[in-house]
Order: sequence, then C-alpha cells, then structure tokens
Amino acid sequence: MTTTVAPAQTAAPTRRRFTVDEFLAMDQAGIFHPEERLELLDGEILIMPPIGPPHADGTDQFDDFFKFSLRGRARVRVQGPVQLDDLNLPVPDIAVLRLRDGYHRAHPTPTDVLLIVEVSDSSLRRDRDAKLSRYAAAGIPEVWIANVPARHVEAFHDPVDGVYQSHRIVPADGQISPIAFPDVELTVGDFLLE
Amino acid sequence: MTTTALPAQTAAPTRRRFTVDEYCAMAEAGILSERERVELLDGEIYVMPPIGAPHEDGTTRLSRDPILQLVDRAWVRVQNSIRLNDYGLPEPDIAIARLRDDYHRNLPTPEDVLLVIEIADSSLRSDLDVKLPLYAAAGIPEVWIANVAARQVEAFHDPVDGVYQSSRIVPADGRISPRVFPDVVLTVGEFLLGDPDSEGDETDAPGTDS
Repeated sequence: MTTTVAPAQTAAPTRRRFTVDEFLAMDQAGIFHPEERLELLDGEILIMPPIGPPHADGTDQFDDFFKFSLRGRARVRVQGPVQLDDLNLPVPDIAVLRLRDGYHRAHPTPTDVLLIVEVSDSSLRRDRDAKLSRYAAAGIPEVWIANVPARHVEAFHDPVDGVYQSHRIVPADGQISPIAFPDVELTVGDFLLE
Repeated sequence: MTTTALPAQTAAPTRRRFTVDEYCAMAEAGILSERERVELLDGEIYVMPPIGAPHEDGTTRLSRDPILQLVDRAWVRVQNSIRLNDYGLPEPDIAIARLRDDYHRNLPTPEDVLLVIEIADSSLRSDLDVKLPLYAAAGIPEVWIANVAARQVEAFHDPVDGVYQSSRIVPADGRISPRVFPDVVLTVGEFLLGDPDSEGDETDAPGTDS
C-alpha cells in the first residue's frame, strides 16, 4: 500500500499542555478520581507508578526522621505537591520546606524548598530523567534520589542552567546531611533496608 | 557527572489519558475554552493545526457539492465531533453519516459513519500518523485524506485490525466517489484548488494508483 509522504513542513501533532491552574481546576471539577496519583511535568499529566513496600517504607523513614530532627526548624511535606512553575507540579516523596505561613493557600514554590528526597524503585528512571532536570531548572538547591535497589543515595547540588553541577553517591554505610542542616546527619542504610 | 546505570525494568512515565466524558467535563468546567481547537485522540488531547485558506476552502467546497447530492440520503457534518470510542472524539473536516434523527442527542459513532474526509495541509502528518490509524481501528469504512499541497486525494478502505488494507491516490484531474454512493462523482481538482504559495508545484504530485 503506497502512502503519501508528509512534506517536511507539516507540523507534528502537538499535545495540549496544561497549566498548574488548569490541572487544579480539573481536580476541582471532579475529573480525576480522588485516589489517582498524578503529577504535572512540563504541562503533561503523568500517572505516578504504584508505591511498593520499599518505596513506602523508605518514605516513612525519611518522614519520621526529618519531622523529628527538624521540628520547629522546617516543614516536612510528604508526597504533597510543589509548584515549580506554571507547567510543573510534581509530587516528591519528601519536600523539606522553609517554615512560613500560607501553605494552606498556595503550594510551595522553589524558594520555599530546601531539600527534595525521591525514594526510587520502579520510579527511578522517571525521577532521574524527568523530575531531576525540572528540579534543577527550578533552582531547587538539593535533591536526594534514594535508590532502593542499590541501597544508596545520590545527592545533587548547585543547580546552574537546569543542571546540577555536583553530585555524589553515598553508600549504605555512608552518612549524609542536608546542606541547609549540616547538624542533622543520617546513615543511608538505616533508611534503605535490605 | 557520573550517574548510576539504570535498571532496565524501570518504567517510563505514563501520560494520563482522558475519556470522552472527562474531556467533555473539562470543556464544561471552562478548562478547555470553546475557542480552542483541540480534539481527543486515543485519550490524548491534541491541539489542531490552524486552518489555512486552502484547507478552509476545500472543506467548504466539499461540504457543498456532496450536501446537494446527498440530501435525504446521508447526513453531512462539517468539522464536528464523532465519537470513535470512549477515548476518541475527533473532529474530521467532513463526516458523511447515516441518516438518523437523534444526532442532537447522540454523537455519530463508527456504525453511523460512512466516509470521513480530512483536508490536510499543515495537518497532513497528524492526519496520516495519528488520526488514520484510529479511524481504521474504529472500523470507519472509508477515509479520504485530501492533500492540499499535492492536490490529490488518498482514499483508504477496508479496515482490518486497525489498518486500511487498500488505498489509492486520485490526482487533481481524477474522479472519486464515496463507495456507498457511487453515483456521487467528484473531481479532485474542483475542491482542491491548490495552495497559492505553491503554484506551479503541481507536477510534483505522484498521481499514481496502487
């Protein structure tokens, strides 16, 4: 069967992208099921992978630790949205936020975020490829990708022009502290259990 | 900057697809404005390319002649939705549908549609790559892709398992009829007058049958 060859100047099909406001309006309009786990990346609404036991437990461990050790010093948001810009509303596993009033009125923006932790098992590729570059572009100062299968944390710092300039891998027996809270130290293996 | 090799089994991100009902709810909630030219294809919302003058003119010419010839025999819809399935609500340039008296309540479904015509200029790739396979999968029996730049119609028939089994190209001086209305004979060049920007390019048209 012969087919016409599309001339080079014809436009590739373009998907409609959505702003954060439109995405939130869809939720208000009841278009999404309440149980759906979605995030907005570059205007595309993505389904978040199911949370397996290692992912859930790792998130809980970071949650417990930060809420305890940063009590009165930071707000710890667990699997809640962060508004990077008009087209990006990711839902990181942990967002350590500056203490301030008003988070009930609008989602935190990059200037509020001190550290993001993504606990990654099946979501590793998406966290690494899709979300990390958005976090860097938004100027999030520090991101930890807690790699469950490898039992290590990859820590990214110093975002410049959408790329983290420094990166280090902390193994299970290594210690790591948030840059914003150098006195708060944890051992990776205590959070990512075998 | 070193990065750890990725395990092969990790999943790529999946876009949230929308049903026709969710899509319509977005329009009702004002998230998709009435002025927006979008269509729902396979659960994804696409922005339709702008309609240029040759596209508009072709649509208008095609909607006139068949309408005159098909009065009381079929329902001719111009740039209106057809409901392909729960995830598809395209707006073809022309849809020739069976006569029914309840289209004000129910959108035409594939069982109603006899012929779809897409006038393709900048939309050519979208029409061929995205929409044509969906029409085939839905069992639309006949689709014409009217290629404005080449001044030819490519007619597709016999959908089986999501692929049209036969197609033929009709050049500007050729005649074409809907399969279900063989007495309605149209000359391609009479509704595809050509893109004024590409005058003189007509000799490039392949004009071959297959």
